[in-house]
Amino acid sequence: MACSAAKTLSKNVKKWGFYNVSMSFSKSRIALVFFFATALCLSGRLVSSAWAGTDLPPEKIQELGQKMYRDGVLPSGESIKAFVSDDVPVDGTAFTCVSCHLHSGMGSIEGEVITPPTNGRILYEPREPFIKGYEHVPSFSNYAKYLPVRPAYTDQTLAELIQGGVDPTGRSVLHVMPRYDIYGKDMDILIAYLKTLSDHPSPGVSKEQIKFATVIVEGTDPQAVKSMLDPIQFGIDRKNALAIAAGNNDRVARMGYNMLGPDLMAKKFTLSHWILKGAPETWRAQLEDYYQNEPVFALLGGISAGDWAPVHHFCEDKHLPNLFPVVDYPVLSDTDWYTLYLSRGIRQEGEAAARYLMSIQSLLKDGAILQVYRDSRRGQALADGFRQIWNAAGNTAAIEVTLPPGEKLTKTQLQQLLNKHKPVAVIVWDDETALPALTEVATEKSHPNFFVTSATWLDQSIYSVPEPLRGFLYMTYPYRLPQEEARFKNLLNKVLQGKSIAQYDEKIFKKGYITNQMIGDALMEMRSEYYSDFLLDTIGMMEDTYLPLYERLTFGPGQRYASKGCFIVQLSEGDAPKLERRSEWIIK
Amino acid sequence: MTGSFRKTMMAAMLLLLTLPLPQAQAAAPRYERSVHNFSIPDIVLVNQDRKRVRLKSIIDTEKMVIVDFIYGTCTTICPVLSAGYANLQRKLGKDSEKVHLISITIDPENDTPEVMKEYLERYRSKPGWDFLTGSRQDINRVMNAFDSYFRDKMDHKPLTFIHSPEDGTWIRLYGLLSGKDFIKECEKVGVL
Repeated sequence: MACSAAKTLSKNVKKWGFYNVSMSFSKSRIALVFFFATALCLSGRLVSSAWAGTDLPPEKIQELGQKMYRDGVLPSGESIKAFVSDDVPVDGTAFTCVSCHLHSGMGSIEGEVITPPTNGRILYEPREPFIKGYEHVPSFSNYAKYLPVRPAYTDQTLAELIQGGVDPTGRSVLHVMPRYDIYGKDMDILIAYLKTLSDHPSPGVSKEQIKFATVIVEGTDPQAVKSMLDPIQFGIDRKNALAIAAGNNDRVARMGYNMLGPDLMAKKFTLSHWILKGAPETWRAQLEDYYQNEPVFALLGGISAGDWAPVHHFCEDKHLPNLFPVVDYPVLSDTDWYTLYLSRGIRQEGEAAARYLMSIQSLLKDGAILQVYRDSRRGQALADGFRQIWNAAGNTAAIEVTLPPGEKLTKTQLQQLLNKHKPVAVIVWDDETALPALTEVATEKSHPNFFVTSATWLDQSIYSVPEPLRGFLYMTYPYRLPQEEARFKNLLNKVLQGKSIAQYDEKIFKKGYITNQMIGDALMEMRSEYYSDFLLDTIGMMEDTYLPLYERLTFGPGQRYASKGCFIVQLSEGDAPKLERRSEWIIK
Repeated sequence: MTGSFRKTMMAAMLLLLTLPLPQAQAAAPRYERSVHNFSIPDIVLVNQDRKRVRLKSIIDTEKMVIVDFIYGTCTTICPVLSAGYANLQRKLGKDSEKVHLISITIDPENDTPEVMKEYLERYRSKPGWDFLTGSRQDINRVMNAFDSYFRDKMDHKPLTFIHSPEDGTWIRLYGLLSGKDFIKECEKVGVL
């Protein structure tokens, strides 16, 4: 990732050159867009000294400054007014500081736009064409040399930049950065807030090490726990081995220096296991104890067969990143920030089923849809997912029938429902015990052409779907097809270290692998700036990622569910059947 | 340095300050302009209201059609392009009925109709601005048709395409246009 970003940057810069006000804009065909963001304040200056321009208490200024930075709202409650591209008036709520400089204020690289950091510590230092102490680290120097040098900002020059788009050298910053109508005390508040952004490293980081933890809910299947843990521990061990080897071997040290920089190369990682016992209502107190005893930089992975919400909310409150816990029921939120999930969980399959049926609506001819689901958390999550997407699109609501716990779906029951409602498609959210009833109905002379169910709930039974049903049974499958996973075998073998994948829950092992890969990639991108928000910002700005298990992981600022797709599959005919795609990964 | 020489220099400098800036610097366009013929694929996309729309049919009309490629959570270029669309609608007033603005997502994974609808509301869009999504394959086909394939959404460029209903050509604008420049380019097409 670090390499790809640097290559992209290098390519763009070679193509476009720098934007420099002393030259005609036409000479440099516009393009590489620099935001000369922000702000001032001497390195290390305390937050309290930044409030000098206002008579509000620091907490209030922090709150108001954050609203300006993140929401584009003035302390008066009005939207900040601004202009982009010279003369285009925009509402500050659509052009917030955070949208480009991100939560951490550490900036971003996207396409042809480089947004430099806007945190006080960096703004109030002169910018050189290198990062001190990292002059010979390729990823650092590639980044630094493309940012124009400038002197340190002062409160005055920073205000001029925000208002007029001119930096302390007199250079006009690119027009992608709005010129904001912010004055007087409002400007004081914003500047004071910028001084607090990414001011000191997050908890869990010291000169010698970065501490991580993983949360394990007691009672989870031991094989599942091991499958999640081993790939993550492998990454931790490998990193520590590099740190030790670099101390003993110059060649390894050079390699580590070039890849990671001197600071990250030398740091060791630790991974603690935070075991949660008892009822979910008691987890908060346990997490508080763990965190107080050992603050960590991030939670890696984690696993629960049921709830995760208490961990999610704890992370929100503590501003503690949690990368990719293995859970079926993630917290779904458009605004929460600190937990990145692999997907929207079980529910995503229900949503995919709705989208698939909508995509073939011409075949359904506005006929009735019957949704039969097990009255369990899993059944309800699938049914909810379907219902929400289906109804939101203005379709006639599906006829719904619940199956009480322990009561097997029978052919008689199903046939009665078909006779009564005459549906054109039947969705059955249940385990493999529903297959005999579905098969018997499918062998009748008249039956619906579309039966839909969840492949993950059927689990290995998907390969024993009886032949008469295969042509009519469509299954939601939220992973890459098994026969297309072979290309990742070598990658996984490195982590398996001679063990057989059969010892593990293969899917969970791959989820752990993804976590290990993502934290490694993100840390390499972070230029030794260890801020929890920057970790999440960095992952948010990553390009689409192709790793084992999921067809594609995609990110973007604020996006919190990495795998957004789901195939609809059918089982092929024959004694050695395979899953066959009946939809694209993303169904529209 | 003598006093008279200093006075002469001061006078010369003052005179210089009164001279106009070189025209090239003052009026240099901030974007590239070129004219193309594109063959639009016959595909069906989905708009912010979940309606399926045939791309060809909404382009081949008597209206001027403007197309850009954006995504809902973009932090840099797309907000500026969209502010340009919103500003154009405002500035054109009633004439905005003669223009159909189309934004096509380059992040079909995330940009559902709900996301796109919320996005348009954020920019206070008026009728006549559609945000379209589709399968990744179809989105790739559209990008390729406009000779604007982005390998990844994080690698995109500020591109705007204006379709002339008169002769069917496309004006390709590469860069971030000021409000005035955008209207000027629309006027050149002749529909307004």
